Amino acid sequence: MRNPIMVGKRVYLRAFDVADAEQWARFAAEEPDTFMYRGRQPESPMHLETWAKGLYKPTTPHIIEFAVCLRENDALMGNMGIEDINWINRTGETGSFLGAPYRNSGLGTEAKHLILEYAFERLQLHTIISTVFEANTRSSAALAKQGYRPAGRMRRHDVKDGVYRDMLVYDLLREEWLAAREIWQATQNQHEAE
Amino acid sequence: MRVTYLTGTTVYLRALLATDKETVAAWFPSPFPKSVAAAEEWLKESYGSWGSGKPTYLIIAQYSDDQPVGSCSLRTHDYRRAFLNFTMAPWLDNADELRAEALRLLIPWLRDDQEFMSVLVSIASDELATIAAAEELGLEQNVRLREYIARPGKRVDGFLYQALNTPWKVADA
Repeated sequence: MRNPIMVGKRVYLRAFDVADAEQWARFAAEEPDTFMYRGRQPESPMHLETWAKGLYKPTTPHIIEFAVCLRENDALMGNMGIEDINWINRTGETGSFLGAPYRNSGLGTEAKHLILEYAFERLQLHTIISTVFEANTRSSAALAKQGYRPAGRMRRHDVKDGVYRDMLVYDLLREEWLAAREIWQATQNQHEAE
Repeated sequence: MRVTYLTGTTVYLRALLATDKETVAAWFPSPFPKSVAAAEEWLKESYGSWGSGKPTYLIIAQYSDDQPVGSCSLRTHDYRRAFLNFTMAPWLDNADELRAEALRLLIPWLRDDQEFMSVLVSIASDELATIAAAEELGLEQNVRLREYIARPGKRVDGFLYQALNTPWKVADA
């Protein structure tokens, strides 16, 4: 077998290669049946080579990054994204940065709910993770409010001030995010009513 | 081109070779098909060298016939921490056992020979032979990611196991 992806008892599936073009063109040239959708047509091996070369170039993104902007004046506030996206396991890791003028304003929380809505509702991801350097207690508190749960820690992730520091790991499932968003939306509605 | 210190009884690990394009389905870290031409291009352009921050790949080959049966990607930015991810050939029935043997070769090399402070390995909760090997090697399960890995008809948790070296005590020269 050459590069099998799926293997049966008698056949297997593999990627096309440019070397297949000649045989593929021969199939077209010797086609006996006439009842198929477009009938029978000669194919050039050169065309098929180009087709086969292009087949495996497109790749799905592993990182999706957004600029976070203020609606009232389009000002750039920072970025939010999903990294290490695994399209089979449907997982990804969120990351974000907001410029100092926009911190502690609630805008970051709103943007984070948008990126999580994008991840769970549009991309249909199943589990989202996030990592936080242990000294960054502000980010850890923000993640807890968004529904993330502690999943463990990567020990001795870095050295700061001569001592080892850990990286905290959090995970989040869709239902947990929906519940956290409901609480956040209720708080927002209450603020607006006041 | 066997590496003397990364050779076990069933498998051994080695650097990538140009000829690995011919067996790309056995080791490429994606379930999507890749043609030999695309693999050749990837080998020339995308392969990361040691310490570049991009993953470096080691082929897991069978000792009996030198055929690749998987790969291990190794990523490090700083030579203190290494992250390992395994890919096994999709047709194997004994992928878990072969991965476990590869882990038994890699950890002593990275932790004790290369002296990485921390080696992190992703293992699915149903990869029992690999988990047994990790625990036998003294790795700690430090992270459990819920429902992190898709399996036919279900999801299983993902673990991060960690091998920690003894703390460095570096004296002035």
